[in-house]
Amino acid sequence: MPLKLLIQLSWRNLWRHRRRNGILLSAIAVAVAGVVLLNSLLRGMQADMENAVIDNLTGHVKVLQPGYREDPSVERSFIADDGWLQQLPPAAIAGWAARVRVPAVAMSERETRGIQLVGVAPEQESISFLGSVSIRGEGLTGAEDRRIIIGAALAEQLETEVGRRLVLVTQGADGRNREAGYRIAGIYRASMGGLEKVFVFTGAEALGDKLDTPAVTEVSVRLQEDAFEDSVVQALKNAFGGLDVLTWRQLEPQAAAIVSFADSAVFIYFLVIMGALVFGLVNTLVTAVMERVRELGMLRALGMRPRSVVGQVVLESSLIMSVGVAAGLLIAFAVFASVSDGIDLTAFSDSLATFGLRPVFVPVIKAGDVVLVAAMSLILGLIASFYPARRAVKLTPLEALRR
Amino acid sequence: MAETEHIGSEAETASGDSAGLVVSCRGVSRTYEEDAVPVHALREVDFDLRAGEWTSLAGPSGSGKSTLLHAIGGLDRPNSGTVVVDGVEVTALSEAQLSDLRLRKIGFVFQSYNLVPVLSAVENVEFIMQLQGVSGSERRQRALTALQSLGLGDLADRRPGEMSGGQQQRVAIARAIVTNPVLLLADEPSANLDTATTKELLELLKRLNAERGITMLTATHDPMVMSYTSRRVQLRDGGIVDDASD
Repeated sequence: MPLKLLIQLSWRNLWRHRRRNGILLSAIAVAVAGVVLLNSLLRGMQADMENAVIDNLTGHVKVLQPGYREDPSVERSFIADDGWLQQLPPAAIAGWAARVRVPAVAMSERETRGIQLVGVAPEQESISFLGSVSIRGEGLTGAEDRRIIIGAALAEQLETEVGRRLVLVTQGADGRNREAGYRIAGIYRASMGGLEKVFVFTGAEALGDKLDTPAVTEVSVRLQEDAFEDSVVQALKNAFGGLDVLTWRQLEPQAAAIVSFADSAVFIYFLVIMGALVFGLVNTLVTAVMERVRELGMLRALGMRPRSVVGQVVLESSLIMSVGVAAGLLIAFAVFASVSDGIDLTAFSDSLATFGLRPVFVPVIKAGDVVLVAAMSLILGLIASFYPARRAVKLTPLEALRR
Repeated sequence: MAETEHIGSEAETASGDSAGLVVSCRGVSRTYEEDAVPVHALREVDFDLRAGEWTSLAGPSGSGKSTLLHAIGGLDRPNSGTVVVDGVEVTALSEAQLSDLRLRKIGFVFQSYNLVPVLSAVENVEFIMQLQGVSGSERRQRALTALQSLGLGDLADRRPGEMSGGQQQRVAIARAIVTNPVLLLADEPSANLDTATTKELLELLKRLNAERGITMLTATHDPMVMSYTSRRVQLRDGGIVDDASD
């Protein structure tokens, strides 16, 4: 049967039951829009969580001494001379930071708290949350700055303020404790309160002097794109032979599992929503076919082959699905455009922070997800249409004419 | 791509076409199961139809007239016996071959649901030619000529819902004859028409039979239809009880 005739018949049949097909089209459009928007929220959440983990001094890739993660002491440090940087593909690197990070005890006049004391070169910290925090007082001026900046939550716990001194006790390279007073240069406020309680920053060189070591405990690298991860890991392994080179997924496996779940959730949401829709689609198509069974019988009596009848029914449902999917995508894009700057969830900011999410939530549409939803919808529609199509040709032309 | 010819040569050689027969039925029987009770719709029927004849199959409901018409048209398969149409043994064909036979050799006019509702009159007439793979310009010209010859030139762009029952039947006849079939089968063509419209329709069929020599077979219980045909075959209880010609 000529394809042109098949398309002509299918297209005109769509307009035969405008209300019914209109309702079906609306259902498909709403479902597709819903799935795409749900995916965009999920992807936004995924991106936020991933960024939060990477911002949290982790970076995409980190170099550590073996055993440092189990026993994070200054004894497990290493020398990071500048040679390693030349071995990395330059276009792959957004930034890097070499740090000295040791556990310490912070003591004020009133309180004592366990913290992580991190020696940094402030100009390198644009790759971590430290580069974007708001600081009351002053920030660190350089790697040789002997002052500290502490989080607002810790300052509150220790009942201390900018300009006052804080005593920090930590272990030096020789295994002996170092106790020293540090002037508080500033108090930072991070998007997540947990960070404020844990991290205290000072100059990396200044801390090295106190601990009697020129070494660092970690080198953190932020990539331009995830795609560079493998090549950078390999380059770092070559540059730092014998050291652990770990990705953020290896360093934060729980967070990585949650982020990875979003990939599966895209499929799960699609199957749940579109799966429910398929039953409606099949039901409507069966009704439409059964209403026209005599007409289809007449067409077959005139010489139209069963496969052409199947083709016509399948094409009709494919047309409905295509128009519905196109409408759904338009709705999704329109809604997305209206919220692409972000959805303000300040009212829930505390609970969101627990999951590493920012108070302003920015949805993300991935082209791959849109193509997936569109393609899978069309495939589902195609599969769903075969049942009514088969029913249409199950009867002989004579049986159909007698209905 | 057009619906392809699949009627096999073996079926064609089984013909008994030498005496100008368009249809030849031998020992045709058809039994249905209705509520587990066998119904003998046709019993060992022998029936021939010569080229150019207009024959009516008449009889009361359940006499077997429609069953015989459907067996000849390849819409129903007899339990036994042979049906040969234009040299092709219909009873030996597969479903796909039957579709091709109906498409290329037989024109159908049904009682109702004759036309595709979403196509205009001219598109309905073109439809069969589209299935046959006739080119677009030739198709349109032949369809319009067929409609004009039946006095439907002004209705070419109307859809079935915009036409009367009689007009729809005439469009169905235009569609049935536009491909020059060897046989035109009409199943109760006047069933839904009033007397005046029936008469118009019969005059039209008579003219087609006389002018074009189209072989026609009509199943009917309408005496007016029978009065127009040149041969009247009466069936009762699945068998031919009378066969009269003018």
